[in-house]
Amino acid sequence: MLNLSILVVDDDPVIRRLLEQRLKKANHSVHVAEDGYVAEKLLEQNTYNVVLTDLMMPGEIGGIEVLEIAKELNHQTEVVLITAHSSIDTAVEAMKKGANDYLEKPINFDELFLRLEKIANMQSILESARDLQEAFTATENQAASTIQNLEIQTAHLQETLDTVEGLMRNEEITDDEKVLQAIDIITR
Amino acid sequence: MIKIAPAELKIIAQYIHAISGIYLDQSKSYLFETRLSSIAEANGCKSYQELCVKSKRDATKKLERQIVDAISTNETLFFRDKGPFELLQHKILPEVIDARSAKSSLRVPIKIWSAASSTGQELYSIAIVAKELLKNASNYSLTLLGTDISDSAVTQASYGKYNKFEIERGLDRKFLQKYFSLVGDSWKIKDEIRAMVRFKKLNLMLPFSALGKFDIIFCRNVAIYFTLEDRKKLFNKLADSLADDGYLVIGSTESLTGVCPRFVPKRHLRSIFYQKK
Ligand SMILES: C[S@@+](CC[C@H](N)C(=O)[O-])C[C@H]1O[C@@H](n2cnc3c(N)ncnc32)[C@H](O)[C@@H]1O
Repeated sequence: MLNLSILVVDDDPVIRRLLEQRLKKANHSVHVAEDGYVAEKLLEQNTYNVVLTDLMMPGEIGGIEVLEIAKELNHQTEVVLITAHSSIDTAVEAMKKGANDYLEKPINFDELFLRLEKIANMQSILESARDLQEAFTATENQAASTIQNLEIQTAHLQETLDTVEGLMRNEEITDDEKVLQAIDIITR
Repeated sequence: MIKIAPAELKIIAQYIHAISGIYLDQSKSYLFETRLSSIAEANGCKSYQELCVKSKRDATKKLERQIVDAISTNETLFFRDKGPFELLQHKILPEVIDARSAKSSLRVPIKIWSAASSTGQELYSIAIVAKELLKNASNYSLTLLGTDISDSAVTQASYGKYNKFEIERGLDRKFLQKYFSLVGDSWKIKDEIRAMVRFKKLNLMLPFSALGKFDIIFCRNVAIYFTLEDRKKLFNKLADSLADDGYLVIGSTESLTGVCPRFVPKRHLRSIFYQKK
């Protein structure tokens, strides 16, 4: 599985530590934030594949705001919300705002890792699509310039041929003169 | 997904060629399957041959339209390849304006055609260039026409609404802010640009001399789907539809060598365009 860079946002120190340990053990790179403000700073400074955020946090910046900030800064960042059963309606609302998914507390780690694997797969597909697109663009640009050069050269050659043909059909000059003039046209 | 039978391939390929000019290699059976299977199922057909028969019999042509929509590749983006639009701005439009102003003392008529406009990005890019260049638009009588064989593409083009993925491709932020407004989570072209253009359905395989003569024709990335024979016919008709001193722009990897001797390629900076001999 692709290693993801993950930001964990939770005001509960126990959950924060637990998530950090489990995710690091699974070879993901992890940053943690204890509230929305710290999360905002980290989001501005780093790019994350995934933000794993508690929905309800004290202060002005809750989970929904973290979601909005993360998406605003980089719409490729996937956001997974952690929510108590009582606030599932809010979590569903958040999905409409672009959250990838939500997990109910207490966190089931099997479920979490399954979600992360799906996200990692999706991101690696997106990455190869971008690589392909780039390779295609490079090839296309190269082909375009080759074709355009050929197009111009062919047109010049055609023009030369037409001139030589006119010359050959000219009955007012001698064959010797035709040859001399033809060589002149061709080597011009 | 309904599987395509080898015997059906030729029949379907021929039918699609007949209705759209699009030539699909019979080795690409997956293409027929992925693009036509859901239409066949929705219309209660058990095979692709049955779908063809049903479509031929359908006097309303609804099924034919659906097949064309599904089979045509509408891939496009704003300011695709950049070069042609710089060409338009720095060479073609100024030259056309010079040539036409000399003839007419009233409003200068300029006719531009995007001959396979898909979902409209090409013609809107042209319109934006024209708008930026011709500050005093009331001195000109601009006709910007976009045509395409696909009904759904023409509908989206007319609507001028694009999702964030379509918008992000090729469009400068400054043009996005200036000429589009956010509607829900999509972007809609502003009326000042929308009012400059017109879209309609047209099959390039059929005669189109009724459209009159154009000063500038963009016919990009559509002839690649046609056979050499059809391409020859198409560019010959385009030559008839182009003013004697008009300009033709084709796709960046397309060539008219061996296709239409009536056009001569000319280079300007990193792009080429064609004019009549
Ligand atoms: C790949 S798009 C090119 C769009 C745009 N010109 C560009 O270069 O970005 C090709 C378009 O050609 C249209 N097309 C295919 N066959 C056609 C035909 N016979 N007449 C008119 N349009 C056709 C398709 O519906 C599609 O929208």
